Amino acid sequence: MKATRNAASGSSESPAPSFYAAAAKIYPREISGRFTRIRQRTVVVLLGLFYGVAWLQWNGRQALLFDLPARKFYIFGLTLWPQDFFYMALLMIIAALTLFFVTALAGRLWCGYACPQTVWTEVFIWIERWTEGSSLQRMKLDRSPWTGRKLLRKGGKQLLWLLLAAWTGFTFVGYFNPIRELGSEIGHLTLGGWASFWIVLYSAATYGNAGFMREQVCKYMCPYARFQSAMFDKDTLIISYNDNRGEPRAARRRGSSAAAQGKGDCIDCQLCVQVCPTGIDIRKGLQYECIACAACVDACDDIMVKMGAPGGLIRYTTENAVQGKATHIVRPRMFVYGAILVIGATILGYSLATRTPLILDVIRDRNALYREVHGDHIENAYSLKVINLDSKPHSYRLQVSGLDALEIAAPSGLIDVPAGTVGTVSARLQVPSDLATGVHKITLTLAAADDARIAVREKTRFIGPRP
Amino acid sequence: MSAADTPSAEPGGEQRPADPPASRLGLILWPSFLSACIASVLFFAAVDPELLRDAGPRLFADLDRETGYALGFFFFWVVAAIASALSVWLIASRGYLRRIRPTES
Repeated sequence: MKATRNAASGSSESPAPSFYAAAAKIYPREISGRFTRIRQRTVVVLLGLFYGVAWLQWNGRQALLFDLPARKFYIFGLTLWPQDFFYMALLMIIAALTLFFVTALAGRLWCGYACPQTVWTEVFIWIERWTEGSSLQRMKLDRSPWTGRKLLRKGGKQLLWLLLAAWTGFTFVGYFNPIRELGSEIGHLTLGGWASFWIVLYSAATYGNAGFMREQVCKYMCPYARFQSAMFDKDTLIISYNDNRGEPRAARRRGSSAAAQGKGDCIDCQLCVQVCPTGIDIRKGLQYECIACAACVDACDDIMVKMGAPGGLIRYTTENAVQGKATHIVRPRMFVYGAILVIGATILGYSLATRTPLILDVIRDRNALYREVHGDHIENAYSLKVINLDSKPHSYRLQVSGLDALEIAAPSGLIDVPAGTVGTVSARLQVPSDLATGVHKITLTLAAADDARIAVREKTRFIGPRP
Repeated sequence: MSAADTPSAEPGGEQRPADPPASRLGLILWPSFLSACIASVLFFAAVDPELLRDAGPRLFADLDRETGYALGFFFFWVVAAIASALSVWLIASRGYLRRIRPTES
């Protein structure tokens, strides 16, 4: 505390504030219990997915690949192009709404169990415990002079942290560049400059965030921690200390009755503070630093059982329940978030199911408005960009409408475009001169010869001489 | 130095230690990073970096896509960080103004 004040007042005798030294280091005490077990399992599953899915193959290519160099996103059987940005935007909106929905219902479940910051911090702390021991041992080790043993423990921790961070950076970049190629390029030391740069940057971010900044990211940097209060109401699940039952807090003999001694159930053992990863005292009430990890719930339940008292002095509850009112799971807010969510998901599902895997871009020839051919015909030239979004090749037939006697001089046959590529075709349309005066709106229709459902229409203009 | 550095009084009247100085760096870099991510996604969904090479000035003559994405991202990040830094500085320097011209009570 003293160091913090000194650094804040900027007094000259205080040591220069180093990067994160001004905040007191938190040594979260190890804990076991049902919520801790749930979090540990969630961490294993989520990280397993992150490290594993990158290696999954689907139809001979990486199952989940946001191939930025090729500007194509592969999501299992689906290939998305930049033109399909709508789907990605919708998907992100749905993800955000899901977060709102869950937050309104169950509070900061995301923070306590699923946020990457929590998940990686948890694993980094596992490594820390494994190399440096319990929180008490770590405090002692930090205070002790440098010895061979301290060097070994600290060095081992840093080495494991760096390895995990490097693997994380590699995996992350592997979602944007094919991970198998990336791996073999690293093996052969032929990795490209940008790929190396991003791997190092994301490794460094993991190392810094999970190893050093930890709860400070939640406290100072996370916007969600601040705006989640907008989604909270009196029926939202929060972690709360039962004042009525706990106060007045006082130590007492194990197994003795608190009520008989005029004391509350809280024995002021400070365990809930010691296990808190953000270093707060939940008994002071709901605070924005609380990431709802429920470590204090596990710690307190453990103590209460040992004291012969029922658990739940600190527990998941709602503001209404604390005030002795009924908690409503079904409430207008849930309907609003739920309805928007269902509508968004329906639009996404429907539009994906009915998506036409074909795009036609029509660009008029910029060099000449029109051209006279054969002495009695007017010709307009166009450049067609045919984008086959499908996973198989197609041959397309071009048709035109909107002007009488409009004929296609080129292309003469079908337009062949391989799977997932862009074909560029020059098209020439002709009309007898006496019918071609002025500007006409025409429609080009492109349809796959083998599948009538794959068809697109595009409007353009046909320009003739002034009447 | 400024109001943001002094311990702030909580509603409960409790004194809370000041935020560490480096938290300001986080206040500048992190929101701008998020904004740069959004800007990059929106911009590059509409614009292929290779178009910049074909249409742009000499500056982009040797631009490949990966370089284009990286330059674009860092450009957005720097611009957004300038905005963040200005906001942080404007908020932090309010205390200084109050001190040189005290408000009448």
